Amino acid sequence: MAILTVDNLHKNYGPVNALKGVSFTVPRGSVFGILGPNGSGKTTLLGIIMDILKPTAGSYKLFDETPTHLHRSQIGTLLETPNFYHYLNAVQNLKIAAAIKQRGTEDIDRVLQMVNLEQRKFSKFTTYSLGMKQRLAIASSLLGNPEVLVFDEPTNGLDPVGIVETRELIKKLNKEGKTIIMASHLLDEVEKVCTHVAILQKGTLITHGHVDEILVTEDVVEAGAANVQQLLAALHKYPGALQVKLNEHHVELSFAPGTAMLDSLNRFCFENGIALNHLRLRKKSLETKFFELTNGK
Amino acid sequence: MGRLLHIEWMKLKNYRAFWILLCLYIATIFGANFIIFRIQQQIYSKEQAKGMASLILGNPPYSFPSVWQATAHVSSYLLFIPGLIMIIAVTNEYSFKTHRQNIIDGLTRRQFIGAKIMMAALLSVVSVIVVAITALVFGFMDGSNSFSLEGFYYIGYSFLQAMSYTMVALLMAVLFKRGGLAIGVFFSYALVLEELLVLFMNKYLHYAGRFMPLETTDILVPFPRIKEIVNKLTSTPPDYNVMFIIALVYLAAYLFLVTRKFETDNL
Repeated sequence: MAILTVDNLHKNYGPVNALKGVSFTVPRGSVFGILGPNGSGKTTLLGIIMDILKPTAGSYKLFDETPTHLHRSQIGTLLETPNFYHYLNAVQNLKIAAAIKQRGTEDIDRVLQMVNLEQRKFSKFTTYSLGMKQRLAIASSLLGNPEVLVFDEPTNGLDPVGIVETRELIKKLNKEGKTIIMASHLLDEVEKVCTHVAILQKGTLITHGHVDEILVTEDVVEAGAANVQQLLAALHKYPGALQVKLNEHHVELSFAPGTAMLDSLNRFCFENGIALNHLRLRKKSLETKFFELTNGK
Repeated sequence: MGRLLHIEWMKLKNYRAFWILLCLYIATIFGANFIIFRIQQQIYSKEQAKGMASLILGNPPYSFPSVWQATAHVSSYLLFIPGLIMIIAVTNEYSFKTHRQNIIDGLTRRQFIGAKIMMAALLSVVSVIVVAITALVFGFMDGSNSFSLEGFYYIGYSFLQAMSYTMVALLMAVLFKRGGLAIGVFFSYALVLEELLVLFMNKYLHYAGRFMPLETTDILVPFPRIKEIVNKLTSTPPDYNVMFIIALVYLAAYLFLVTRKFETDNL
């Protein structure tokens, strides 16, 4: 069974085409990442699925059925910003959310504990920091232990500890069998957490599928030495490198995924009479990956 | 329906501005009527003035049975306050973006806006109850006539009038979404602009001003006896049955517009 099926969705804001015929399917039990830079249409897409935006054309299905508010109440959703009544505290806000979702209030303490907010649960929402607001929004989405969760930029505004905790929480929820749909502009985040990914750019779906198939990024190693030209000449002979080139102050080597061995490279250089002063394994940035994907099409 | 009202109640019960405005509204209804009541007492206590007033107004306005009408009319000048409450309650949702979250969490758009319409109706019910109690109190305070329910239908008209003001306020809130803007437009329209339009249209367009949105219900609740006097002076007095029906048509139009706007908007 598919949790979500999106079929040829279009959305125009006046002359701006925010979505241009996007179609994909989210399988049950996956962590489905929707990856794209700012303004690529991620939130627009999720907004349509949550019925707060009307699509210009196209359709979507939830749980293989024509979507209604009852489907939405079975999905825990955090969209764009934490939206709460400023003059109410966390418990009062969650009571309203629980009443709308037609869930009991007995779950409130559990979800507040999951996001480490129980000590501030009687403070007004206005007194919360950005990170605490985000945590409360995650807590609200967990109310009633829904089978499907939708997170739009879930680590937005969180400190490093909060980011790690949230990623761990997402992985844990997925292990419990929940399906998670997550929008992000962080390649690294999607790589670490997701099983599936759809890549959006300027409203167009560039590609989608299993993370291992889509986000195969070559390993890139930067190496530096006092004499860069000599290093470059030596490294051209290094076995296994797909590409060797000079990039400003460093030599860059590309390897097939998972095959870059820094220690053997270091030994190779030393044996060729070169002492390295810089050696680093680098991940490709989202921008580079996009550039490749869009150029490949 | 009960669930929707319960959700609205959870939103409002801890909102201090709501309670302050509601208390102010109740207090000013009583206060405004008290001022007019005092003026009436002063006029009717002086022999000469009493003679003049009796000639025009007949029995004191705050005596039974005209007290229902007098109180409904005087209180109607304060209907901008429930309008204000309505605008704040709705535009708050827009500024907190909770209107989105409520839909995301599983309300239908119609349920969300339906709850606001029910809130407008409940505010109008509260308003009418307060007006009726105030009328009762002043009727007994005046004491010149014994209790009578004659003319109590003006309290019913005052419900229609309250619905009309709260629904226009709701329409402004849904159209403008921003509190300041909606309040500004609502106040200037309800308190000044429509009055001006009514004046000009009545003068130059053969009393067409009577059919302006808020005027249709205002005209149903005039001050006691003044209606008869004014109607004698105008060549074509309004047909109150027609006004009543037009007021209902306007209400239906607000209902349709507000629902339609919220159901089709990008939120």
